[in-house]
Amino acid sequence: MSLLQIRGVSKAFGSLIAVNNVTLDIEPGELRAVIGPNGAGKTTFFNLITGFFPPTSGQILLDGKDITRATAVERIRMGMARTFQITQIFPELTTRENIQIAAETAMGFRLRTWLSRAERAAVSSRIEETLVAARLTEQADRLVGELSHGDQRSAEIAMALALKPRILLLDEPTAGMGEQETFQVAGLIRRLHKHTGYTIMLVEHDMRVVFNLADRIVVLTEGTMLAEGTPREIADNPAVQAAYLGTAE
Amino acid sequence: MLTLILFNLTNGIILGLFYVLMALGVSLILNLSNVINFAHGNFLALGGYFAFSLAPYLGYWGAFIVAPILIGVLGLIVEQTMIKRVYARPHVYSLLLTFGLSFIIQDMCRTIWGVNGLPLSIPNALNSPLSNQFFFLTGYRIFLVAVVIVAVAALFAFLGFTRVGTRIRAGTFDLDTVSALGINIGLLRALNFALGIGLAGLAGVLAGGQIGLNPNMGDNLVLPSFIAIIVGGIGSLTGTLVGGLVIGVASALTSVWWSAGSNVVMYILMVVILVARPRGIMGEEGMMT
Amino acid sequence: MSTTTAPQTAVAAAPGQRWLHLVAIWAFLIAAPLWMGHIGGYDALYSRILIFGLAAMGLNLLLGFTGMMSFGHAAYFGLGAYGAGFVLRYWIHSTPLAILCGILLGTVFGVIFGALMMRRTGIYFAMLTIAFSQICYYFAYSWNSVTGGYDGLRGFTRAPLHFGSYVIDIRDNGLVFYYFVLAIFFVCTALMGALLRSPLGRTMIALRENPQRARFLGIPNEQHVWIAFAISTLFTSVAGALYALLNNFADPTALYYVISGNIVIMAVLGGMLNFWGPLLGAAVFVWLEDYISSQTVNWMSFIGVIFVVVVLFFPRGLLGFVKRRSA
Ligand SMILES: Nc1ncnc2c1ncn2[C@@H]1O[C@H](COP(=O)(O)OP(=O)(O)O)[C@@H](O)[C@H]1O
Ligand SMILES: [Mg+2]
Repeated sequence: MSLLQIRGVSKAFGSLIAVNNVTLDIEPGELRAVIGPNGAGKTTFFNLITGFFPPTSGQILLDGKDITRATAVERIRMGMARTFQITQIFPELTTRENIQIAAETAMGFRLRTWLSRAERAAVSSRIEETLVAARLTEQADRLVGELSHGDQRSAEIAMALALKPRILLLDEPTAGMGEQETFQVAGLIRRLHKHTGYTIMLVEHDMRVVFNLADRIVVLTEGTMLAEGTPREIADNPAVQAAYLGTAE
Repeated sequence: MLTLILFNLTNGIILGLFYVLMALGVSLILNLSNVINFAHGNFLALGGYFAFSLAPYLGYWGAFIVAPILIGVLGLIVEQTMIKRVYARPHVYSLLLTFGLSFIIQDMCRTIWGVNGLPLSIPNALNSPLSNQFFFLTGYRIFLVAVVIVAVAALFAFLGFTRVGTRIRAGTFDLDTVSALGINIGLLRALNFALGIGLAGLAGVLAGGQIGLNPNMGDNLVLPSFIAIIVGGIGSLTGTLVGGLVIGVASALTSVWWSAGSNVVMYILMVVILVARPRGIMGEEGMMT
Repeated sequence: MSTTTAPQTAVAAAPGQRWLHLVAIWAFLIAAPLWMGHIGGYDALYSRILIFGLAAMGLNLLLGFTGMMSFGHAAYFGLGAYGAGFVLRYWIHSTPLAILCGILLGTVFGVIFGALMMRRTGIYFAMLTIAFSQICYYFAYSWNSVTGGYDGLRGFTRAPLHFGSYVIDIRDNGLVFYYFVLAIFFVCTALMGALLRSPLGRTMIALRENPQRARFLGIPNEQHVWIAFAISTLFTSVAGALYALLNNFADPTALYYVISGNIVIMAVLGGMLNFWGPLLGAAVFVWLEDYISSQTVNWMSFIGVIFVVVVLFFPRGLLGFVKRRSA
């Protein structure tokens, strides 16, 4: 069964229909990219999936369970994790503390004022594991607000990883980044997908990143799904070429 | 009994109108600048005192016109020299700033005009009761009601039909967009602040004729005006208008049966509203978050 | 709340250094009454500083560490005072019970009001805190038969402490009372420090740093705001209970919004990003207030000027440039 099923989901802001009747299935272990020009509704689409706001119509299922009306926190508890187009971190805390907050929350300790030795050890090992996975061990004790853009982005992804999510949603992970940093973050995403087998959904602007990374691609324009397929199919699709590739680059 | 109820109802409406004038000013500033103006009641007191000091030279009517304008100008100066410097900072700073200003202004009033109450004399024409049975319907009260109605109508017309007014309303909803359109937010906020403070000045002149002047005269009006805003719905000026009247009348009617309860009832009203209808009577969805 | 501050470059104080700070602070607090008389201090003033320091540190759990603005903490301070007063005046001559009931009264209202406010943020949250504190003020003011109305609750004294046959006279000896307050202050700060180093405490800091990020890690903001608010009111009501014991009365001014403003300015003046900042702020503010009000009738202007000067020129407070956490 598909991990995530999106059925005819729409979102209207007043008269503007930002997402229009999108239907989509995400299989476990897949890396799916969503591309489309600015204002196409990609972020809104992610917001619908993660429970930022409810859809105007349509249905969203995770593991076959209807989560259309579930709150963001409930969805996260069920295994979603996301990052934002504009990096969202706890800037005045260290990288380790950023990840720690995520880990403790995911492990069900968020209301605790005291942890047993064993629990503390479990938290620590999850933090270390995450730091290694995101290659942030060197930056662990620096304030995350002072890291480079690329490292901040890695830290944000690391926080999502510390949740041990079943599906990871990344909104333009390389937005506003230079060559070097794009390379760094794309590498991280690739490792997560190829080596760790994460199911990932990703909004991207940078074509090279998408075509090299994604198993399948969805093209969104003006809220509607224009095309869906493998990178090859998308590249060869005349409608996509006309609507997107020709204009964006 | 009927007379008593009518008496209290009249009191309630008068009180409600003061809440409305105060709350509209507080609300204007809150909505556009995200500043809770603790000193609003002190600007009210200053308005009364200015009128008191100007009346010997300008006469009552001259003072009536000039005092609120001067208070508005004072508000503009305060905004430009201090308040505007904390817009970009967390709310705690603007609260502390207006809180400190309220201390300073109150102390100034006390030092300049004295601790004891002063009368603000009103023209004789306004002073007499209109009928013996309804002794509480003095000419001044009718005048007061009329002035507030005119002022509120003028304010809403200004916000609804002038360019600056439209921009102020737009800024309340989405400051970023307004700013992106190239409108000078700083100027808009300054004018808006002056306008809100000017309303407090007007309320002060009116209150002076009703209850006399003392340095703390605004204190009893500030917090109810906050309640009026919450009850009416934060973000909605119409809501503030309704909220002010509702709590004014509710507290006056309560005092018919329970004299100490007049203040308590508006808080109960607030809690009930918050539980039953969190965005207030007229508030927009999402404005209270 | 982090928007005023430039990125802080300092790295967390080394553990050794932290212990050094703690030893210095406690040595100072223990020794203070023994020599500060020379510069115009007196026992009741020291106790008042600790009490307001505790109230401000309690508030700062919310203001500095959760990033939520309360301008209504006088309510819980005052309820703490009345709670303690009720016990001593109407029930039993016991200091520990008085403190417990003060805490209970303040915190119960903190929990109730917190529930009504937890969904609001920013300036609207602040506005509600003010309104709710005013409810308490009016009740204390109007409910004459129980609270003593305008004059307050009087006619009680704090009781000496009995440990079996051993009696500690905190009633007639101001210095002993200071050390009693200090002991409670110690317990409270130890608890607050432990809280901030716990998972729950970290979720509070997460809310301050970035509520949206916190929510999308699975932290329900409202619930945590509520808890933070309740905990914060708990510590402020401890301070309130001690305040009633210090004065041997509880009156409506303890609940008045002026006290709320004072508690906030103490936290900001000392430095709200620093654990000990509010205590320093309380020391400076209470001392200045005491001094100024004895020197001039225009003390209100001076206090007002302190507010304005702090906001415009020292927004980060006295410890603003010192490391953020040394709990
Ligand atoms: N919260 C919102 N309220 C109103 N309009 C919105 C909101 N969020 C997005 N929009 C509008 O929806 C459209 C799609 O935006 P978005 O999803 O951010 O696009 P993308 O991420 O593809 O660049 C845009 O026209 C945007 O202005
Ligand atoms: Mg986007």
